[in-house]
Amino acid sequence: MSDHASADYPANWGGGVSPLKVSYGKLFMWFFLISDALTFSAFLSAYGFMRHKFAGTWPEPSTVFHHFPFIHKELPLAYVGLMTFILIMSSVTMVLAVEAGHRKDKKDVMLWMILTIIGGFAFVGSQAWEWYHFITGTETGHWKDLIVDGKVVKTLVHGANLTYNEYGNSLFGAFFFFITGFHGFHVFSGVMINITIFIMVARGVMEKRGHYEMVEKVGLYWHFVDLVWVFVFTFFYLL
Amino acid sequence: MEFHDDFPQYEFRDQHDDVEGKKQRRRLWNVFWIMLGITIFELVLGSYAASHSNVSKTMLKIVFISFTILKAYYIVYSFMHLGHEVKAMKWIIIAPYTTFILYLVFMATITEGNYSKDHKVSPADKVYAAPATAEEGSPAESGEHK
Repeated sequence: MSDHASADYPANWGGGVSPLKVSYGKLFMWFFLISDALTFSAFLSAYGFMRHKFAGTWPEPSTVFHHFPFIHKELPLAYVGLMTFILIMSSVTMVLAVEAGHRKDKKDVMLWMILTIIGGFAFVGSQAWEWYHFITGTETGHWKDLIVDGKVVKTLVHGANLTYNEYGNSLFGAFFFFITGFHGFHVFSGVMINITIFIMVARGVMEKRGHYEMVEKVGLYWHFVDLVWVFVFTFFYLL
Repeated sequence: MEFHDDFPQYEFRDQHDDVEGKKQRRRLWNVFWIMLGITIFELVLGSYAASHSNVSKTMLKIVFISFTILKAYYIVYSFMHLGHEVKAMKWIIIAPYTTFILYLVFMATITEGNYSKDHKVSPADKVYAAPATAEEGSPAESGEHK
């Protein structure tokens, strides 16, 4: 490389150097994450817009999501707080795996990655539990005017689906399923990628390569999933 | 021109020893405690606001959104290591995204938001479409069927 960066050439233009000081794979993981972030931002903006537009019929999230496993009391926000804690925790274990990769400590990388995978499964499981409660709804339900076969019919509605829900505006359920579902699918694919990389680490592929950069790349994706959840948490549950 | 495969290996740039690792781990755990503290504060504030009606909704929104952006900053700059990248890299990631998002947010809140404010759907407009096949046991089968 040195013969290219001769005195005639400014160091960055002679070739053979990377001005951004990141590798190809990491740079393109970042670009992918930007495009994904734009998608999620569009969803959340649409959610905010619709919520503003239908403010009269939009349900208060803290009255919808107040269940907690094994506790038969109304605890608004407690369960989603637990889910947030799980995801932030798994983000920390992921970044510790990346740090262990910088020290080329295979045992540490494996330990922190397996903890991340467990955290990911715990989060997806929690989300399934929450979806179950959202779909089945309350005992009492809510009477709604539904159009059935072209006629308006008063119907007792329990829980939520993509067409209507007992809590309020039908769009609330549709947005909930779509945004948390899209995020949950990201978490699920993140867990799958984590497992793949974990197996590669365990088989010593990274050791042979001399660096654990793949752990860094999958770490970027995993932190992004956590980042999106921070926003979903705020706009869906807190506001 | 001949193909060069002797680029500097930037993957090795980040590698460090045990001493540096210990320092980094302490920093990461600090970030974790900060984020946990913010989240717990948000939850307490949220459940307080849910049971008390004297809390200003606008203030609540401003507080929650600023804390969210603060958390996003910690994730991106510390966990995703963007804080340790070179300046050009930071700009390449942050600038295009911010530009588009500012555009999107202003579009959703000012242009389209003002339109929807002037054309508010009345809360009485509560007719929801259901699937053409009525559910079992619903009044549709007994009452309206001919």
